[in-house]
Amino acid sequence: MSAHAPSAGHVPAPAQYAEIAVPGAAIGLVAGVFAAGVAALAGLPGMQIATIATGLGIPLALLGAGYCVLLATGRFGVGAVGPVALYWLVGFPLARLVDEVAVAGVLGHDDVLRDPLLSFLAFQALLSIGFAIGFLWLHERLAPLWYYRIQRHNAAAADLMRRYIDQAAEMEQRRASAGRGRRRGRS
Amino acid sequence: MDSSDINSDRPLGRDDLTGTEPPPARVPAQRGPAPAESGAAAGTPGGAAETPAPEQERFWKAGRLEPMPIRSLPKAPPSIHLLGPTVFLVALGVGMGESYMWPRLVLIFGPEIRWLFLIGVTLQAVVMLEMSRYAMATGESIFFGAARVFKPLMWFFFVTAILVYIWPGHLSAGASAFERVTGIPWQATAVAGMLLVGVVFTLAKVVYNLLENVLSICIGLLVVGTSVVAAMVGSLSDLSTTLTGMFAFGYLPEEALSPAWFPVIVGSIAFAGPSGMQQMWYTLHLRDKGAGMGAHIPRIRGLRHAEEQETMPTRGFMFDTSDPAEMSKWKGWRRWVTFDAFVLFWGITMLVTVSFTVLAQASARFDPQVATVIRDGERDAALDAMAASFTAAGSPVFGTIFFLFISLIGLNATLGLFDSFSRGQADMTYFFVPGARRFSMSKLYGFFLWGLIAFGICILLFGPADGPAAILDTLAFLSTFAMGAYCVTLLLVNNITLPKPIRPGIVPNVLIAVAALFYLGMLFYSLFAYGVVVS
Repeated sequence: MSAHAPSAGHVPAPAQYAEIAVPGAAIGLVAGVFAAGVAALAGLPGMQIATIATGLGIPLALLGAGYCVLLATGRFGVGAVGPVALYWLVGFPLARLVDEVAVAGVLGHDDVLRDPLLSFLAFQALLSIGFAIGFLWLHERLAPLWYYRIQRHNAAAADLMRRYIDQAAEMEQRRASAGRGRRRGRS
Repeated sequence: MDSSDINSDRPLGRDDLTGTEPPPARVPAQRGPAPAESGAAAGTPGGAAETPAPEQERFWKAGRLEPMPIRSLPKAPPSIHLLGPTVFLVALGVGMGESYMWPRLVLIFGPEIRWLFLIGVTLQAVVMLEMSRYAMATGESIFFGAARVFKPLMWFFFVTAILVYIWPGHLSAGASAFERVTGIPWQATAVAGMLLVGVVFTLAKVVYNLLENVLSICIGLLVVGTSVVAAMVGSLSDLSTTLTGMFAFGYLPEEALSPAWFPVIVGSIAFAGPSGMQQMWYTLHLRDKGAGMGAHIPRIRGLRHAEEQETMPTRGFMFDTSDPAEMSKWKGWRRWVTFDAFVLFWGITMLVTVSFTVLAQASARFDPQVATVIRDGERDAALDAMAASFTAAGSPVFGTIFFLFISLIGLNATLGLFDSFSRGQADMTYFFVPGARRFSMSKLYGFFLWGLIAFGICILLFGPADGPAAILDTLAFLSTFAMGAYCVTLLLVNNITLPKPIRPGIVPNVLIAVAALFYLGMLFYSLFAYGVVVS
């Protein structure tokens, strides 16, 4: 556990982290909803479309939740792009693989993937960069609002909120120092 | 036009100012610094290297307008970042070109035609970098820079913006898509949307912050959604044909050079990414973000908080380019904006376009009729056909999802456009219309915003949404001409008004010159060879 890990709270630690994981899980689930549109392209019945949608939505939600926990434990820096890109470089192809396997299982297909495994993974890994940027973009806008709401009873969220505030203060300080320079110049 | 570099080793010229010399007489439309700004001059914050006396104020003289005082350049944020003014360019740039025009060209000419898109977007990324050079070095907009070089240039952009962007036709695609989903007439959605945008921007404490938040969420949804869709529909071979297509330099089938298609292709290249004056407005967003010397300029507030607006300086500022510490910070800012241009802007634009191209190909595979409709060029019919093919494949829900994508794109573009137009016109009015400084920048912003909304509502209810039919060609001409004109303006502004150490090198200059030749050359070639304006 890193120095950022919370030491106390009104609720047990696992529950704290579960609560913290909500924004990432929600974004993952929303992303999975788009899979339904793709299922439509294949002309499949509703039941199978639902299987495909959940097959991707659940792994993405779990990985999104995992990101939040890693963020809360200090493994990832607030808003850092590089680690998130690496995380999804591995996670996104895996989620897609789980999705394809689930779909093949439900449909009873012998061929799990249309392409060779390596080609499939390479393609998904390439697209994961865009997904990672979109994910982080949404997370940085939505998650702090959630953490602000739960910080009173969730020490882990309070700790994470402090890190967001520290980062914002650092940015503001940078701007303020320029502003001070301006005022000095006027006086 | 002669600018001088106070930091160079050469002897001072006639335009060079020192703290002991008063600034020269100003042009009539300009007033001197406010008393709060121009009182007893202090030293040079940020460590001007040759500070002769504490009371001495140093200036950078650029053009004939008011010189810029030397101030400290703030430290740059880490170069790898996520949120920033690029979100505005992406919101404005990812529009019908990416979701409709280019997928259409791919269906007709094959993925090899995408090399032209690569060139178009890459040129725009370079333009973005060069736009940021002036804005970050001075805290002034490119419009102010144009006025420093030749004031009529700035007025040309002022008039062009009004002529091209006051027509609310750009709302039609997104609002029409929303009509398909809800059944609400698109005019009603567009009017309600405009009023909502006006109220929200009026109530915002700092307009930039609000808009960056909203657009970030919209773009985030778009990026995540299109990534997942592409991952589901496509394959490595799809991606490889798209990628290799992007490098099929020189591929141009005979039909592409026909009078029917050449103007369409030129228009699609010009409108790949941000088009018209959108790149110029980016300099204003950089300033409000506090990028570079923009940190010395107050931010625009919503009309309700306009009284809290700090005094706007009458010109920008320059940093001490002879100070190695300042130059080191400048390099940090250049790295920051380069990441913005090539990773966020270029990358996201590419990603969304690839996804929509894959979607169009998939729908054409499912229903060959779609390809015919798309080829015919009726945008609404093509969007209908693409959505219908999804609906037929699954359930009406999926046609809805497609239309919601289009609505989202329309919403992004509208939010960005209303803000950008008002920002640009307010900037030029505040600095260059005599008497305008009685009002704060925030009030002028609110005036242009509500003026645009009122005019838009009147036109939607009583007039032609895209503008009078008689001047449609003129507007299309002006929009593309403005792109060539801003490239020429950029070359002049960056090479004349900036100190030598931070002027662009030979490579960016050549690329911007190529862009100017390309936009203007293709525009006039299309006009004279085929007798039509780009479309």
